[in-house]
Amino acid sequence: MQINRRQILQGATALAGAATLGQPAFAQANPLQVGFIYVGPVGDFGWSTMHDVGRKRLEEVMGAAVKTTAVEAVAANDMERVATQLARQGHRLIFTTSFSFFQPTMRVAPTLPNVFFESATGTQTAANVSLYNARFYEGRYVQGVIAARKSKSKTIGYIASFPVPEVVHAINTVMRGAWSVDPSMKIRVVWVNAWFNPGREADAARALIDQGCDVICAHTDSPAPLQLANERGVFGFGQASDMTRFAPKAHLTSSVNNWGDYYVERAKAVIDGSWKPGDVWGGLNSGMFRLAPFTNMTPEEASEAERVRDALSTGRLHPFDGPLTRADGTVAVPAGGRATDDQIRAMNYFYRGIDVALPS
Amino acid sequence: MRIVLTRRDDAPAWMALVSPLIAVALTLLSGAVMFALLGLDPLKALGVYFISPISDGWALQELAVKATPLILISVGLSLCYLSNNWNIGAEGQFVMGAIFGGWVAIATHGAANGPWVFPAMMLAGMLGGAALAMIPAILKTRLSVNEILTSLMLVYVAELLLDWLVRGPWRDPKGFNFPQSVMFDKEAQVMRLMADGRINLGTPIAIIVVVIAAIMMARTLKGFEIRLVGAAPRAARFAGFDEKRLTWTVFAISGALAGLAGIIEVSGTMGQLQPSVSPGYGFTAIIVAFLGRLNPIGCLIAGVVLAITFIGGENAQISLRLPLDVTRVFQGMLLFYVLACDAVLNYRIALVRTGGAAA
Repeated sequence: MQINRRQILQGATALAGAATLGQPAFAQANPLQVGFIYVGPVGDFGWSTMHDVGRKRLEEVMGAAVKTTAVEAVAANDMERVATQLARQGHRLIFTTSFSFFQPTMRVAPTLPNVFFESATGTQTAANVSLYNARFYEGRYVQGVIAARKSKSKTIGYIASFPVPEVVHAINTVMRGAWSVDPSMKIRVVWVNAWFNPGREADAARALIDQGCDVICAHTDSPAPLQLANERGVFGFGQASDMTRFAPKAHLTSSVNNWGDYYVERAKAVIDGSWKPGDVWGGLNSGMFRLAPFTNMTPEEASEAERVRDALSTGRLHPFDGPLTRADGTVAVPAGGRATDDQIRAMNYFYRGIDVALPS
Repeated sequence: MRIVLTRRDDAPAWMALVSPLIAVALTLLSGAVMFALLGLDPLKALGVYFISPISDGWALQELAVKATPLILISVGLSLCYLSNNWNIGAEGQFVMGAIFGGWVAIATHGAANGPWVFPAMMLAGMLGGAALAMIPAILKTRLSVNEILTSLMLVYVAELLLDWLVRGPWRDPKGFNFPQSVMFDKEAQVMRLMADGRINLGTPIAIIVVVIAAIMMARTLKGFEIRLVGAAPRAARFAGFDEKRLTWTVFAISGALAGLAGIIEVSGTMGQLQPSVSPGYGFTAIIVAFLGRLNPIGCLIAGVVLAITFIGGENAQISLRLPLDVTRVFQGMLLFYVLACDAVLNYRIALVRTGGAAA
């Protein structure tokens, strides 16, 4: 991650050319044009869909003050061109909504100094690049607590996408939540190597249920695992959107992504000139995601889940407080300490007691 | 009743030129109707599609960047297809080129390196692509294994190997455990040709490859051999051409060109290895090869045309706010008309009563 000489040169030439390039963007009476670049189709019912819901929310709230454009299913190879094209059409705020867009964003941003970029996840900010993401792990902790209450076999099934830190720390946190209720809780993990693949997700759920798991967590985007849980009479959680309707008997709660408020806030910041690069990692209290209403739970279970959720939201409870011990027995964070955000974001080990191998 | 297509032996040569023009005209017409039905000004919409990707210097550079891998891969594939070797695995050879070339960049990362790094990466990339392509070639010549299946399935092998490498041994140690390699050093990135755009050395390399391939096909014994083995394998054997050796040669060349495209793409537009390095260039290049009539110059033109429709589709999403699906329908129409015009102009269509004389 270094800025090399060529990139600086490009930045300089772009500055020189910016006068002509940005012309249409500065007709002041015009609405702020906001671009969105999605890694998947808007109809994936998961990640990209929820960013598009955020885009619509932005239009709804800001009305004539903004005009939005979405470009779907963009490969990392094409990201720089799409971003430049958006800028040339007068877009001044661009949300690049995938980690695979982060490096292209860092490369293209210096060449478009009049455009503000917002990268959903990334590792560093720049003069016109902000990072944003949600602390979805807080929801995972609540899932762990609920799962420990509901499970009879004391085994959670986890459908994991890829062994990236985001998924690894989520698995750790589910178990932290589960152990807070019952230290004998166990977890089984199936890696499906996809963010969205309903067929494979359902197969994974089937395998986990056959192995005795009776609460299914999914770190993939489709409702397929939850639907299968419904069919097989076990419980599960929804992902990205409220999936109650897909599994009326199995659904416990869903982690519902909500980017709209952040998009509104950032668009307003550009309009009033207060936009600054930031690194936002919003938890439950930020509204970047929320938990869907608890279903299929007794009033006591639901009130406990609410209590845990509120404790996380207000910061009274933190899922990464020490001691944290790695699976190999070494101490990652001593008692009394707390994992830093950077440590959480780079987590590549399971806690002791989680008997799961990392593929690779 | 069934429909029988009989090849017209008397199809005049000018048809090969006119047919794509008719196809483009029909696409424009149908596109205009479609855009009008969607409530858009048809002329403006077509302008966004076909004119905006070639409207200024920046757009032309982007067009070159997008077309370069398609051209490189399709030139190699047309040599294979002309000689009846069905290499469907260029996508995997592209990825393997990215892996081999990327290895050079990662191994030399951070060291004080000279200008030899990039040429070494290109060589390694070509070697990687060729090595992967040789597997179906050898299986075909030694064991008569169908090369369509083996070359296609090796795509997944190459993709999974890359996936494993960037999540495991080649993961950037400072990259927060995200699946990506280090950013390549400056010496390991393809030289850019202009200060104000992304066009790089890959484009002139692709043009040189086209010229060499065109001369080889038109003027050399090797070119004749490739065409003869494809058109009349028995005659080729009588002429003393070694069919097996030719299979190895064309697979090696097309693998090397796909690998070259892979390393140019990775070091030119991405600057690092990621779990996915290709938006399907290896498969799209199959369409390019056939649109270009398996002719190197044709591949150059077809590669540019496909790149225009791709970028035009992006621009339509941006300036017309059309959804991706509509832009894909439009691209599909173009391909459909090209193939349909070819069929109608080169074949006689007849309805034959079932049970009648064999056609």
